[in-house]
Amino acid sequence: MSSVPQGVAGIKAVLPHRYPMLLVDRVLELVPGERLTALKAVTCNEPWYEGLSDKASEEDHDYPRVLLIESWCQAAGVLIASERPNPDVLSGQVMLFGGISDVRFTGRVRPGDVMRHEVRLSRALTDTVIFEGECLVDGRVVAEIGRVVMAMRPATELTEQVPGTAASSEEKS
Amino acid sequence: MTPTACTPVDGTPEPVDTEDGTATVVTVAGDEKVFPGHYPGFPIFPGVCIVEYAHRSALATFPAEGRWELAAVESTRFLSPVFPGDELRTELTWSQDGEGWRCKAKVASQRGNAAQIRFRFDAGRAG
Repeated sequence: MSSVPQGVAGIKAVLPHRYPMLLVDRVLELVPGERLTALKAVTCNEPWYEGLSDKASEEDHDYPRVLLIESWCQAAGVLIASERPNPDVLSGQVMLFGGISDVRFTGRVRPGDVMRHEVRLSRALTDTVIFEGECLVDGRVVAEIGRVVMAMRPATELTEQVPGTAASSEEKS
Repeated sequence: MTPTACTPVDGTPEPVDTEDGTATVVTVAGDEKVFPGHYPGFPIFPGVCIVEYAHRSALATFPAEGRWELAAVESTRFLSPVFPGDELRTELTWSQDGEGWRCKAKVASQRGNAAQIRFRFDAGRAG
């Protein structure tokens, strides 16, 4: 278990995401090829809260639900990456979202809450991995994640699609 | 977007008229706040931020009065990556579902279809 990335330094060693989009703080448990439990603490110092006025209500401070999904999926990414680490998004195999389905929100997340992501690997194919699980705050489920599909693809599939890649040197001249 | 929106995206989807429904357009600015971390040296718009622009497009064109909130992301398919400077056009199709609403969003950039998303919205609750 010595290779399990427990804190941010370990997580950064296996995920390419960085501030402000690194949304996993700690890994509590990791069973390779099977399941993972990870934490993400929410604070009003995250940049999403910067634009909120002083008149914003408590519910206006609900953590963006798409970021709950992102955070949960990054936790799933740690589970994959524990076997195939790739902190460099520009080389080798990269992990891409294939699809997200059956995500139900059953509670709210606000600054001060710690999200606990329970990730279970439900199916692994050659280049596709399917996850399911929940996100909990203080023991209550705030989101049920029915199905997340992640696909491992060659990085070139991404880099070749960058607009103007071939022409970028011409634009500079 | 309203000044009280807590969101990872910086732009505001603008409703545009279409013949048979609702659509919005928004430009993904090169300085969106997520880009420095997604990813360093290789800015690619996070899939969940495409979903967020579709979500905000739905809220901006909601077919009923009142406060509504996202209850479920029933499905999402990502079809092509989105990069800084891309213009996203989102076409929304609504259907009523009991006391809630379902919304199907088709998002396209200038390179073709970027994502398809199905949302469910319920009446928002205070607190």
